[in-house]
Amino acid sequence: MTVKSKLREIVGPDNFSDDPEVLDKYSKDFSLVPAGVPNYVVKPKTVEEVQKIIQLANKNRLPVVPTSSMVHFNGAAIPKQGGIIADLTRMNRILEIDEFNRRVRMEVGVTWEKAARELAKKGFRLMMPLAPHPMRSAVIDHLEREVITNTVYDYGEPLQSMEVVWPTGEIFRTGSASVAGYPDSPSKGANPSGPGLDFYRLLQGAQGTMGIVTWANLKIEYMTTVDRVLFAPVDDLDYTIDFLHRILKLRIGQECLLLDNTDLAALVSENWPDDFEELRATLPPWTLILVISGMARRPEEKLKYEENMLKDIIKNEFSEIQLDNNLPGFPGMGRKLLPLLRQPWPKKTPYWKNRYLGGCQSIFFITRPGMAPQFTDMMEEVAAQYGYPVDDIGGYIQPIEHNRACQMQFDIFYDPDSEVDVELVRSLYRDAISVLASQGALFTRPYGELADLVYESATGYATALRRVKKVFDPNNIMNPGTLCY
Amino acid sequence: MAISKEAYKVLEAIVGDEYISSDPVVCEGYRSGPGGYEAGLGYERVMTKVPGCVILPLTTEEVQKIVKVCNRYKVPYVPYSTGWYGPRSHCHVDDELLIDLKRMDDFEIDEKHLYAVVGSGVIYSQLQEEAMKRGCYIIVGGGGSQCSAIANMLGDGWSPLSYRIGLPHRRILGTELVLPDGELVKMGSLALQDDPFWGDGLGPDLRGLLRGFTGLRGCLGIVTKMAIKLLPFQPEKLEPTGISPHTSLQLPVNRVKWINFTMPSKESMKKAMFEMARAEIGAGATKVPIFWRAIAKASCKEEYWDIWSKESEETIKDFHLLRVLLVGFGSEEQMEYEERVLNDIITEIGGEARRTRPSDESWFKNADSAGMWLMCGGYVSVDYVIETLEHALPHGENYAELKKKFTPPLMPDYGDPGWFQSFELGHQGYSEFLVYWDPDENTDGVDQFYLETSKENIRKRFYTSLLGPHQPLYLTGPAYGPNYHKWMLAVKDEFDPNFLSHPPVPLAHDEFVERAEWMRPMKDWKSPKLP
Amino acid sequence: MLKGKVSLDVTNLDNFEYDMSKCIKCKGCYWVDHIYMPGVNFSTRCPSATRYIFDSYGAYGKMRIGLAMLEGRMEYSDELLKTLYACTLCGACDVGCKRNLDLEIELSLEALRIKAVKDGKGPMPAHKKVAKKITEKHNRFGSPHQNRNKWLTKDIKVAAKADVLYFVGCSAAYTNPEIARATAKILNAAGTPFMLMPDEWCCGNMLYSVGMIDEARELARRNLEAVRKSGAKTLLVSCAEGYRTWKVDYPKMLDISTDDLGFKVVHLTELVDELIKQEALKLTKPVDMRLTYHDSCSLSRLSDPWTPWKGERGKWGMVSPGLERRRGTGGIYQQPRDILNAIPGVELVEMIRMKENAFCCGAGRGTQEAFPDFAAWAAEQRLFEAKTVGAEAIVATCPWCKDNFARVARQNGEDLKIYDISELILASIEG
Repeated sequence: MTVKSKLREIVGPDNFSDDPEVLDKYSKDFSLVPAGVPNYVVKPKTVEEVQKIIQLANKNRLPVVPTSSMVHFNGAAIPKQGGIIADLTRMNRILEIDEFNRRVRMEVGVTWEKAARELAKKGFRLMMPLAPHPMRSAVIDHLEREVITNTVYDYGEPLQSMEVVWPTGEIFRTGSASVAGYPDSPSKGANPSGPGLDFYRLLQGAQGTMGIVTWANLKIEYMTTVDRVLFAPVDDLDYTIDFLHRILKLRIGQECLLLDNTDLAALVSENWPDDFEELRATLPPWTLILVISGMARRPEEKLKYEENMLKDIIKNEFSEIQLDNNLPGFPGMGRKLLPLLRQPWPKKTPYWKNRYLGGCQSIFFITRPGMAPQFTDMMEEVAAQYGYPVDDIGGYIQPIEHNRACQMQFDIFYDPDSEVDVELVRSLYRDAISVLASQGALFTRPYGELADLVYESATGYATALRRVKKVFDPNNIMNPGTLCY
Repeated sequence: MAISKEAYKVLEAIVGDEYISSDPVVCEGYRSGPGGYEAGLGYERVMTKVPGCVILPLTTEEVQKIVKVCNRYKVPYVPYSTGWYGPRSHCHVDDELLIDLKRMDDFEIDEKHLYAVVGSGVIYSQLQEEAMKRGCYIIVGGGGSQCSAIANMLGDGWSPLSYRIGLPHRRILGTELVLPDGELVKMGSLALQDDPFWGDGLGPDLRGLLRGFTGLRGCLGIVTKMAIKLLPFQPEKLEPTGISPHTSLQLPVNRVKWINFTMPSKESMKKAMFEMARAEIGAGATKVPIFWRAIAKASCKEEYWDIWSKESEETIKDFHLLRVLLVGFGSEEQMEYEERVLNDIITEIGGEARRTRPSDESWFKNADSAGMWLMCGGYVSVDYVIETLEHALPHGENYAELKKKFTPPLMPDYGDPGWFQSFELGHQGYSEFLVYWDPDENTDGVDQFYLETSKENIRKRFYTSLLGPHQPLYLTGPAYGPNYHKWMLAVKDEFDPNFLSHPPVPLAHDEFVERAEWMRPMKDWKSPKLP
Repeated sequence: MLKGKVSLDVTNLDNFEYDMSKCIKCKGCYWVDHIYMPGVNFSTRCPSATRYIFDSYGAYGKMRIGLAMLEGRMEYSDELLKTLYACTLCGACDVGCKRNLDLEIELSLEALRIKAVKDGKGPMPAHKKVAKKITEKHNRFGSPHQNRNKWLTKDIKVAAKADVLYFVGCSAAYTNPEIARATAKILNAAGTPFMLMPDEWCCGNMLYSVGMIDEARELARRNLEAVRKSGAKTLLVSCAEGYRTWKVDYPKMLDISTDDLGFKVVHLTELVDELIKQEALKLTKPVDMRLTYHDSCSLSRLSDPWTPWKGERGKWGMVSPGLERRRGTGGIYQQPRDILNAIPGVELVEMIRMKENAFCCGAGRGTQEAFPDFAAWAAEQRLFEAKTVGAEAIVATCPWCKDNFARVARQNGEDLKIYDISELILASIEG
């Protein structure tokens, strides 16, 4: 039997393809990562099918590239060395919503849109990054450590235990899902760690190189009862960041983020392109957005004490911050923004990153919040060298856990149909990441060519990673050519 | 017993003659003896040895060199921060080198970015005080504030203060790990820069090698430096008062307050924790087992037993005490709000507030130091689990039953051996139960009970922290994962092919069962010949 | 003895088998009480373990070594003797352990030294030299015995008979006459008549402390009889080491309780504090100084009164009859502070490690004699701590502390002033 026939047998002929048109779709995504064509695409439905696919791949030393989303921005699911695309979008069941323990267990094919919708029915929400694409996998976005907009929970990451098929073909459950017979057990899978080693850490940020995760448990939160969206126009980023250092340690608010005029305009504009241009031109350089909320009990009282805290601090320490229910000159901004912060991007609306020029290359990294203004300047300098209009760079600063760190993101918009634009942005990107990295930008999620940049500087780490990889994937079949493998 | 002369000479050249010794008196001082954990049990008698040599490095570079020398001369070694964990942190084989890390006590703190960087010699109470001086706090793990912060962050690391944050894994930031072959891996932001503020890996996160719910006891390398996340606290001082042994922290009750509530049932406590989590209030919530109260009241061991012996299943079964911590992190107004909400909840459920001392003896600065050993001179946490509250309650009840079969030699607990808490604002629940025994009587039953808990967990499908090196790996391995042991041993083999880093861990408990004649009959699982 | 008959008799190491075998290495004996932990600096209170670093030098190591000695598993060596004797027996370990576990660490350490002497291996050569001086000249310096009262000046009134007997001690008599004079003048100023011993001999502090219990006991009997014969109701001392020796070690050696001595043992600070509160003594002259107070170990954590005990140990390690353990809670902590605060012009700043957490000066109980470098090192640590809190002076209540601090301050060219509390009290009386 050939590989093809075996694959067809495993998933069924309807879930197999080697049609060039189909393969072509998987060979590229919204990123600038060069195209890479797979040999086959399969769409398994069960973990047993996944297991058989991997076993077959091992036997034949064929690469396997897992993908769970229909939309990709970072190139992680583009095959570098051909092989089999394991498209897990058919594994899209929400397996449990555990209300008592605030947990959802769902397969990797569950999209943000589906997850948000189903959870909302029960009064829950999933912590989200900023306006995620509705067709992306919620589990995978968390596995890949997308940074969430909510800063108030001390425990940070929502990911708990999961099921994985190792590159050697064994099915394995991590954390407290590892008990025999799970989920038919007193253990609910709420503990991500163990058994024996912290396997979940090895799977995070792995871009599918350490195995195929099939489902995961994630923490969910109650929906808020009452919200107030507060805005402050920002001229002085340093000053505002100091303000955030002050208030976020008090555990105020739910979502807190800074958006520059371009990114904010891209998010909230309704009538394109007029609204966008006008907003971009008239919005302040940066806007601080802080959502304060009441929860299950005495919600108005909670809002009141948080407002009082903010008032006192602004009055006594940060008198230049103008935090208000609305952004001056932009009535209704709160009403527009809150759903964008609490829901994935609406399915029927072109994605906010693609609306402007069609393409968007994001550069994102972790840094100390106080470095954000410098990095902004650096980014603008690099852009200027390429004649790239600074106004076309979107900026987004996401404070993390009491503002102890932040994710800085630059969104470089471009026309993907223009070869000139593409090449320009590719070069600009390459230069920018190099300059930013040399000044301390921490690229903890090294997609595409970032991997070379990062691992060449972190050789000790890369060596250790390769040694671990050798244990789990001795034949290097899982998404080879990715990261440092 | 000593290590080879050649190896000794080379090691001496690394640290200087003042910081190395194989003198029998010095080495005897490092005998395991009883420990904080598993005091006086069979494991200690059967598995531990006095070191052949003790060395005290100062820097990561020295540790690397030492480990490389050990690899060259095939000298087994064990890393040792305080020795507090008891037998399991001590030498297990002959002619072993004990690497005492206490000199590595560097300390830096960045309160703006909420982390502190420590060496292995820094203990929790030092770190807590430095944090509190700057408006922050840490979770002092239940092992106590005398624990090395690094060792406890790797090994266990939670307490009732984990109500908001749960696992210590989330608090491990940039870290340096000397691998068993002496190579250095820097994790998190340290991999790329001289700044440990960030913990997540570059791509896959190698912090996965540091622990696995609970720790690896140094069998997969030596952590020499770690940045630990701090949590924002409130601005008022917790004032130390009293003369030993009656020392405590006076709480600024407008900002920090413990409140004890009598509750109608165990279920009602679980409900209260659930409601608190739903309302997102509080900074700590734990059931108080009655023997904690006896410890708090007693001024000595004899008084403890006098109080305890008057209890019975009858008196215990209707005693349900919930202890809640409120902290006005942001303001007094916030604290008042939380107290109103808490009272709403308790009133609805039928609980009642009790008079509570405005002081903290245990959790912020002390933890477990205060009297947990006073009663018997030894104890062990036979099981402790972070899972959910729904796991915690049946877990505790199940063990109450099992424990009866081993009482005596265990201390009678009248059907209430442990406690449970809420973690991560209700996303997780915690259960733990301790057992006490007289270390000067036959303790075989305690060793057997310890292993029996492992089997019971497997039978009943409970999760447990006592995996990896704690229990026989070939018993628990097939039951969890399944076959997590296969991966552990494969990773161990990759990084420590000479099996020099704290041998025979992670197979130490397997070895113990083979060697101890009172344990052998319990072996009903398969294992290959142990190395 | 793990179970069965047990007593607090330090001449039999067997009595401490339980204690030595139950040390769990919590290092409460090493670290400042965690409630009071000041941070990463000044965080320890065991000078031996802090200086010598290996675990064998902390009580956790010594308990294991002691058990090995009891069980015949440990041979004597220079290293063993150093481990036993490079230690001021300051009691920090004992108090620390009793925060958690109530093990008799101090008594175990004393018992180990007694065993070493009994086995013919201890004490250190330097101790033997001093012991010889005590035997021959009745003082630890080997100075002429007849010069013992030379400190007396004409302006000091000594009663032929009084309720209060001032036991001067070797240091105040020979090397620190300023303390003896100040004490005597304070008593005069307060209108408290006092007498002296007709023939004062060394209290035997060092002898007992290094394990020479037979010699110490003989001296104790002699001294005790002398005091009883005098009819004194109160034995007043101005030396913390002497205070502990009389109040605790004498009863211990003689198997009686402190109450059974037949007189109260009182330190000058206890008396002066009481006199001030009764307004029988007024401190009126200003002493303008920013100073810090050093809690001398023997006045503070080691000074709880002694009651002999014997009984049985049974299940769970419980003893009967009940035993009220000496945990340092009743030490003289507050009185010296109240006195200093009563002196006009004094600004009292506390050391970072204070009261039962104080870091020993390093001199006491045989350490100065046998390990002068270690004693100097410990003093240096404490002087540095005093400077860190911005003090211009250190005040102690013991000539051993004062001497050691002063010697090191001089050697290092420090401008920190060193006083005994008696000097400041007197300065505030007389001006």
